[in-house]
Formats: sequence, C-alpha cells, structure tokens
Amino acid sequence: MARYGMALDYKNCINCKACEVACKEENGVLLGADKHRIWVGVKEIEGEWPLLDIASSTFMPSQCQHCEDAPCEEVCPTHATYYDENGVVRVDSNKCILCSYCMNACPYDARYVDDRTMTVDKCTFCSDTRLARGETTTACQNTCPTKVRTFGDLDDPNSEISVLLRTRDHFSLKSHLGTNPKLFYLT
Amino acid sequence: MEVEISRRKFLQGTVAMTVLGGTLATTSVFASEEKENQKNTPGIPKTVTTKTSTKKAKEVPFLCGMCVNKCAGVARVEDGIITKLNPNPYFPKSRNMLCPRGNAGIQTTYDPDRLKYPLIRIGKRGEGKFKRVSWEEAYDAILNGTKDFKGIVQILDEEKDNRSTIGYCNGEGLSKEGFEDLMGKKIGTPNYVDEVSICLETAGGGFFATLGVYPEIDFEHADYMIILGANRAEAIITPDTMDMFKHTKGRGLKTVCIDPRFTNTAAKADKWLPVNPGTDLAYILAMTYVIFSENLQNEEFMKKHGVGYEEYKQHILSKKYTPEWAEKITGIKAKDIYEMAHEFADAEHPIIYPGRRSIFSPNDYQLRRAMGILQALSGNLDKKGGYIYGNPIQLPAEYVNSPIYAQAKERFDTEGIAFPTIKSGSWIVFRNMILEGKNPYPVRAMFIRKHNPMMGVPNSAKTRKLLEKMDLNVVIDILPSDTAMFADVILPEASYLERTSPVKAYGFLEPSIVQRKAAIKPLYETKTPEVIYKELAEKLSKPLFEISKKYDKDLQEEIAKRGEEKVYKEDGYDLADAWDKSVEEKNKELVEKVYGKEAWEILDKNGVYYPHMEEYHKQLSPNDYQYYPKSKRFYSTKGDSLRVICKYDRLATKGIDAMPTWHDEWKFSVPKGKFRLITGRHAQFTQSGTTNNAMLRDLIPTNYLWINKRVAKEKGIKFGDMVEVKSEVGTVHLKAYPTEKIAPNQIFMLHGFGSESKGLELAYGNGANDAAVIKDDIEPVYGAAVMHSTNVEVRRV
Repeated sequence: MARYGMALDYKNCINCKACEVACKEENGVLLGADKHRIWVGVKEIEGEWPLLDIASSTFMPSQCQHCEDAPCEEVCPTHATYYDENGVVRVDSNKCILCSYCMNACPYDARYVDDRTMTVDKCTFCSDTRLARGETTTACQNTCPTKVRTFGDLDDPNSEISVLLRTRDHFSLKSHLGTNPKLFYLT
Repeated sequence: MEVEISRRKFLQGTVAMTVLGGTLATTSVFASEEKENQKNTPGIPKTVTTKTSTKKAKEVPFLCGMCVNKCAGVARVEDGIITKLNPNPYFPKSRNMLCPRGNAGIQTTYDPDRLKYPLIRIGKRGEGKFKRVSWEEAYDAILNGTKDFKGIVQILDEEKDNRSTIGYCNGEGLSKEGFEDLMGKKIGTPNYVDEVSICLETAGGGFFATLGVYPEIDFEHADYMIILGANRAEAIITPDTMDMFKHTKGRGLKTVCIDPRFTNTAAKADKWLPVNPGTDLAYILAMTYVIFSENLQNEEFMKKHGVGYEEYKQHILSKKYTPEWAEKITGIKAKDIYEMAHEFADAEHPIIYPGRRSIFSPNDYQLRRAMGILQALSGNLDKKGGYIYGNPIQLPAEYVNSPIYAQAKERFDTEGIAFPTIKSGSWIVFRNMILEGKNPYPVRAMFIRKHNPMMGVPNSAKTRKLLEKMDLNVVIDILPSDTAMFADVILPEASYLERTSPVKAYGFLEPSIVQRKAAIKPLYETKTPEVIYKELAEKLSKPLFEISKKYDKDLQEEIAKRGEEKVYKEDGYDLADAWDKSVEEKNKELVEKVYGKEAWEILDKNGVYYPHMEEYHKQLSPNDYQYYPKSKRFYSTKGDSLRVICKYDRLATKGIDAMPTWHDEWKFSVPKGKFRLITGRHAQFTQSGTTNNAMLRDLIPTNYLWINKRVAKEKGIKFGDMVEVKSEVGTVHLKAYPTEKIAPNQIFMLHGFGSESKGLELAYGNGANDAAVIKDDIEPVYGAAVMHSTNVEVRRV
C-alpha cells in the first residue's frame, strides 16, 4: 500500500523524448504519434526573428496525472477505470467497452485507444512491469538524461518525493478543476 | 482478445502515410515476403515493442552504439529476446541515463531491413541487385572477384603489390581500431579516411594546439557560460548534456546561447543571440578585445602560462577588434558584446563552451584557438568549475606485428592542406584528387565499414563517382545504406547489442574503464567485426603474400636469408595473427594485467571499473549517484606544466596565421533571393544510421526545411508543402516548416535523411539528404569539410 505520485523538475527538460521511448519499450506501447502514454508539450515560440520570447518556449513533460478525484473514474460506466491499492489510476481492459467517456472526461488528454485490445490505455506508473518486479522507479524516470522525474510514495514522509515537495515550490496542472493530480511540477 | 500487429503491418502503415509517391520496389534479397517470414524466426520479437514481463531476466551490461558517446546500459533479455535497455548506473560518463536513441537501440538490432547474410552484386553498380551467398563465397569474391568485378589478388598483381591501391574508411565506434589494424597495419595501405575530416577535426586540433587538451567541463561549479555553435540539448554529448541543463534557467549557470537558429539549447538559455553563420571568430576576437582594452584578464595566470601572450595582446589591440567592428560582421550588437565580456570577466567560473560538432566555416581552427585563449584569459583552466584536463586513465595499446611493404606508396591527399593528417587524411581531398586524376598511382578498391559517405561527405554526386570508379567495393555494415548499394561484396555485421567489444578507457574528471558485452548472439548469419577481420585476414593472407613475393625485392632478400616460413610468421605477413585471441580473451588479459584479477571481475559483472569503485560508488537519491567523492576527482592535474599557446609559430611556416586573425573573405553574405543552408542534429537521430529506426521515426517522421515564416508567406509556402532546395552541386526535395526560429536569409535541415537505398524501407525517399546539396569546400589546416558555406535556391514544387 502506497500513494504514488511524481514530481517533475520540468526546467531540466530538453525535449529529447527519451522518456517516451523508454515508456514504449518497457510497456509494449504501440507506435504512432497519438499512441503514447507520456509526452512533452511544446509551444511554438512567440515573436519575430531575431526578437523571440525565450520565456514563451517551454518544454512541459506530461502524462496521466493520477488524480485523487479522477473524472475518468467517475464517468466510467463499467468500472473499468479504478484506483489500485497504490492510488494509481488503472484500466481493466476486460471491463472496458470503449465508450470513450473517460477520454472526454480527462482534462489532461492522457488517454488513447490501444488498437490491439480496442480498449482505452494510459500511463500505469509501470505498475504491471517495473513495480511488479519490485523496482522502485518508472521507465521514464530511470532513463531521463537530465533527471526531470522523481517517482515515489507520497505517504512516506522520508521518500525523495515527499522531501522534494516539502522543500520546493510546486504547482499542479489545472488545479482549479479539483481533480487533485498527483503529478507535481517543481519551480 | 488481442490482435497481433506485426512489425511488417505496422511498417506498411507508416510508409503509406509518409513516403510520397515512392514505390517500394525491392530486389530479391530485400524482398518483403522474406521480411514477413521474419516474425516466425526464433530470437526475433513478434511485435515492434515488447512489454517487459515479471519473469526473471538476464541483465547484460552493454555500451550503446547508437551514436559516438558510448553510454553504458544494461540489456534486459527475456527468453533470448532483448525487451528493454536500461541505463547502467556505474558509468560516470553517462550519468545513469539513456537518451531516446539509446532506448530505441532494440529497433536497430531487430530492424527487418538488417543485412542478414553475405551478398554479392549481380546487377549494375548502385542498382541494388545482390545475390545471397555463404561467407566462404563472399570472402572468395573479395579475393578472386566474379565475372562482374575484379578481386583483390588481380588488382594487387596488376599494381605490382602497391598496397596503397586499396582505400578504406570506417566511422567512429569500438571496433574501428581493429579495422585499421587489418587494412592499415596488416594489409598495408595508408589510404584511410574516416569521420574525423567530416566532423570535428579543427575543434579537437585547435583546442589541442592551444591548451593541450580538448577539455571536459565541470558544470557543477561553473557559473557563467557562453555556448556558441553547439546545440547540447539536441546534439547530445555525455556528460555535458546531463550536467549543463541541471544548472541553467536561473539555477547557477547563467547561459548565453549564440547560434544562427533558435535551438532547444537556446530555449534553455537566459539569452539567445543569433549570429551570422561563419562569423563566430569575429565575435570571440571582439570579446578578447574588450577584456584586453579594459585590462580584465588574469594577467598573473597568463604571464605564467601564456606563450606569445604579450604579442597576442598587442595583436588584438592593434587590429582594433572592437565590438563595434564585430557588430557589422556578426550581427551581434556591440552593447551585447560589452555586456558579455563584462559578465565573463566578473564570473568566478566562466566557461566558453568548447563545443563539439562538424566544421561549419573555413576559419573553424582559428575560432577554436581564439576560444581557448579567451577561456585562458579568465584563468579558469584545470580547476573546479573550469576546463578539466583530468586524469587520462590508460590501457596499453595492442601490439600488431605489421609487415613492411616495399611497393606500397605514401598517401597523396594533401592538395590545398597546410597540415595533412597522416592517419586519416581528408575525405574530400582524397576523393576529389582521385576524381580529378591527381592521384600519383591508381586507387582501385574501397573497403568501407560502418560508414556511409554517400550521405556523410558533402557533394554526394562526387562520392557516387568515386564508388563507381572502383574495381572493387567491399562494405561491412548492419544496414543496406546508400553506400552499400555500390558494394560488390557486402559482409553483414552483428549490431552492437550482439557483440562483445574491445574494452575502452575514459579519462577526465572521473575516469573509468568500460566493456560492452553481447546481450544476445549475432542474429541471422551476421558475425562480429573481429570475427570478420580474422576470417578475412585468414583468407587473404597467403595469396597476398604470394604477390609480395613476386614484386617485393626486400621480401625476396629476407626469404633468401631466413627462409619463407620464418619471414611469413616473424615479419607479420600472417595477417590473421592479430586475431589469435578472441575479444573476450583479450579484454580479460589486458585488464587483469594492468588492474588485476578483481578489477576484471568487477568490470565483467558491472560493465564498468575504476580504482576504488566499490568504495566510491554510492547511490545518493533515486536519480543521483556519486562516482567519485569530490575530494578524489581530478579537478587539477596540470600545475606548472599548463601552457596556453597564444602565438603558434609552426602554423606560420605553412601560411596559417600564428595568432587568430580575422579575414574579410569570411564575411557572411547571401545573394538576394538565395539562402544560406545550415545543417545540424537532433536528439532523436544520429546521422543516416538511425533514420530507418521505427521508434525514432515515430518521434520525427521526416526532416523538414526550416524557413523563416515571413519569407515563406511571401513565397506562398505553407507547413508541409514540398519544396525544392537547389545548390550548385545538387537538388533535393523536402517538406517545409515555416518558423521564426531562423533568419530570413537562411534555411536549415536536419542531417541524415533522404536515403536512396531501397533496402531501407522507412528511410528510403523520406526527406532530403543534405550531403547532396552541400558544396565540397574544405578548411585550410587539415582539409576538413566545411558544412555551412553553401547558398541555395528554394521554391515550392
């Protein structure tokens, strides 16, 4: 039993997409630009050459926010989406009927259709691969060149993530929606 | 129920989407049915990505071969299939990470387009028609030829044992030295070209001549950095990339990025200043001028370590390299130069980032010299937060018993070069002198390993002519590259995950020794490079000795004196004797000899070894490791022996400036209506070797032409429109990406795309090959290729 979350030192991100590849290789995710569990959000820079606004060009690594009040879980008519014992938002593909309510409900656009199972898929925090083998990092955290991510148990006051969240300022995405995301962006 | 999507089906899908009008006609050996059958081959995964299981798996330490960095990883092998590549936390240089290419290495090993068995050409050169043969038949074809091409025996006989009639080339990698041993030391030709003269030769050479080192940087303690002409967020270099971006953006390392383009590195900087391509030297000279004119240099340090220091100071001041002067040349405002010079002088640990990239302008050697001297003016050398010389951990070089061939001639590729490199020459000069008939003796064969000059050497049309001119081309590689299409014999090599490679030592701040171990056995009929060298040497050894006996008077005399068998063995004519032992045996022997039995056990288990590793290596957090405690790192190693060569008189003896000097012929100008073509790299691709990688292609489907948004609008070019780029040497087509990240008179494309080999299903016809349009200009010091001197026309098609 744990309450897993992730802190992202997003200023380190160089948009190299190592995380995306590691995720696909670890979890057997389908290729295809819209088939991914994690991604890096990029905005085209503002301004005209040579006067460009550096601050407008950011790299924002993102994925399922593993909300504590997840809209996707609320709307699922078959309870295919559920919280597992570690608070990770999961999808039971045997129950999923591909009604796609969850995809519409998710404010973070974190879900996609897996063409093999014809069910909805998303980030699992590597629960059925790395964590199931007793490893303590996700594939994306482990491989990151600039070490953007720290995954861990929010209920353990001594975990690295708990220490980071206690000692550094951070924000969540779309916090006004009250979804209580468990991804925290460090400033 | 789970529908299985085969690799083949996936590939068909993506190809249909992105290859415009390309018909994928394949020859018999690259046939699609054969690829379809592959999914039933044991040891090949059935799907593109494989979910890792919870089963116990074999963990094998490897060194990545996707680019030149050689980062350390651990391969997860389940039932003989590699399912995941993870970073190896023991290697100081790669800092417990694998980049996107490193992660996607699985896709290269399991690429259905792999060269799977030896091939012999049956069609015309370049047509791509080959016949599958056995290894024995392939070696025999190299030796004796076929009805379609000549073998090495005939060529050497006709050239009276002039070994120099054979040329060879090899790209960077761990088994490169073995190929140099085979071709250079054993077969005995000096005519070798490699990636150095189309890459960073002047950067390495310029820094070395000036500071005696091409340094590592201690980013942890540096507090100010000017990064110019380097794109470390996209052209990943370890450990620089990982260390740099943990400290940028208001976290200790104030950063100014100077680059014609707004790159991902610029996005991580505090300030970005576009510079006119090829004028960075004028900027550095102006920085130096401000330092000297305001007396901001570390005078004591320079008086102690500088050579020709006073003369350099007078030179800079008397030439009046003022920021106002530089503004007109570089496009960087004078006030910005003053500000940077003051910030540089005020910083405790300032860094002029040395950079690592191919050569962009003819003055690159002088640029590197000027950068090195400017860095030295701060005194921030050989110390914490500065340029690191470090400790060069050593492994002794292997001795190869090389025969001396009396009939072999010296290399000739020296035209227009002040200091020709004896070992690896100049690709462009070597090629062009042969095409222009300036070679003093015929070059009739090329042995090409892990190298794709058709896409790497500027002016592909000329490279094609060179390859067409040869009597024999032998290609050793893992994929059917554009260059492989011109081969007479193709020998398929095992990919890096299928082979144990010679051990490698890394020096600098935290030195270590690393070993790549084979995660799986070589797939199909491929063989490891060292096995290929040995078998080829065995095949060639006696017949080539017979030719030497016929023409080499020195050898005839020796045989008369000592007897044939003795001379053959003792004087190195037994070409295969360098591979008497396997790589595994050699590695063990070497490491045990230098560092002891225990060191070998640690290295073999972990993939990494350094003295006191078990005591020093600690995990500090889920993300951070200590490799060496700070007190044991090699921050300062040079002491009084440190030299800063401001004036280098030897250069002047060959007409090269002894001190960095600006010449107006280097000014940037583009005729109206034309564009300057600039090129570069991306984190998701390494040259042409990775463009057929399914995973990486998924991240960047093609190379786009960056063109200024307002200019594109004027020309009616929208995102995704096909455009033609035409230079005086060639024409290519690719899709447009209008953006404000580039100047109105410049365009940019990623290097490595636009393959014409039909054997590469994903890379074929996708995007544009920059080498087809870049002119074959050289710089004057080493004759190395200059990449950013080509003006082009652009139009929508």
